Amino acid sequence: MSDTMACSKTIELRVLRYRPASDGEPVFVSYRVPYSDDMSVLQALQSIKDTQDGSLSFRWSCRMAICGSCGMMINGEPKLACNTFVRDLGPDVAVIEPLQNFPIERDLVVTVGDFVRKIESIYPYIMPKAPKPVEDGTYLQTPAQMASYESFSDCINCMLCYAACPQFGANPDFIGPGAMALLQRYNGDSRDAGRQFRMDQIAGEDGVWACTAVGICSEVCPKQVDPANAVNQNKTNSALDFFLHHVRRDQP
Amino acid sequence: MSERRPFHRPQPRRWWAQKPYRAYTIRELSGVAVAAYGAILLAGLVCLWRGPDAYALYRRILASEASLAVHAVLLAAVLWHVVTWFEILPKTMPKLILRGQPLPQRLVSAVALLAALACSAALLVVVVAIGAMS
Repeated sequence: MSDTMACSKTIELRVLRYRPASDGEPVFVSYRVPYSDDMSVLQALQSIKDTQDGSLSFRWSCRMAICGSCGMMINGEPKLACNTFVRDLGPDVAVIEPLQNFPIERDLVVTVGDFVRKIESIYPYIMPKAPKPVEDGTYLQTPAQMASYESFSDCINCMLCYAACPQFGANPDFIGPGAMALLQRYNGDSRDAGRQFRMDQIAGEDGVWACTAVGICSEVCPKQVDPANAVNQNKTNSALDFFLHHVRRDQP
Repeated sequence: MSERRPFHRPQPRRWWAQKPYRAYTIRELSGVAVAAYGAILLAGLVCLWRGPDAYALYRRILASEASLAVHAVLLAAVLWHVVTWFEILPKTMPKLILRGQPLPQRLVSAVALLAALACSAALLVVVVAIGAMS
């Protein structure tokens, strides 16, 4: 941590800690951290772990907003710790909490199993219209066909959108914005034929209809995926699916 | 032995009154103003159906200062509802692709809002013209 050695400024990080073996409920613990202008919140947490309290737990991996591991509430907003600078917080105190709306496993680590199950439930892979041997060549796609789903494929599963969604907060069974973005990524792909399987997963009250178009999910998304668009355009699709399911031929 | 004991933090009860959700709450509440304005118009129709005396009373109530104040508030709320409704319109539709690129959502909102304003203006012209002829 050569960066921190040269720091003259300090900030107090109030971190919500929860140690299930000893804490009945989460408690705030303050740490004073020296920082430089190029220090991220993730680096500040690593500095605490290295020099003040080795038991502080948080997830991280890539340090460059690609892996989606280090999502947490920073001054009440869901953000990636690796692309939030300490210099933009404070100036004297910043509050760090685990992602809102998720059960806390320990300190800043939340339970992700339910989210992963939702991702799995929407068939997150291309289901081709017909088997195509390699010798028949590649699947072709025009730039316009790709543009219609490409932004939804940028999702890094960081779950910030779930932490920002009050409907997910009220109903943890709501499939939520992230899984819906992934659903639209495949439903919008011209090579895919699994649309009906996925529509059957989102037609109920815990599907798209739990969304009330709050829209903050898209505002907090670090990759501009626009999950609110994925959810809300599928309300139309789900309504059409309801009215047309008697006449369609492609019953799964 | 596992030490797992996940802690469930409840969502703040007044989340709808806090930033950044306040704008959403105001947008949804402005929908109540649209319903209220519709109810006032419906009351006018009912009074018209009940006869000249009832309709004259309805018009007198409309011309009162309290009614004008209520209408000023309702107009502001309805205009806000219109603007914010068209702001979220692009979120509810598939991406519009033009020459291989998605159209910016702000452009979609602006074009739809202008179209709505043009339709409202045309309706106003028709109503005024019919009123002038009758």
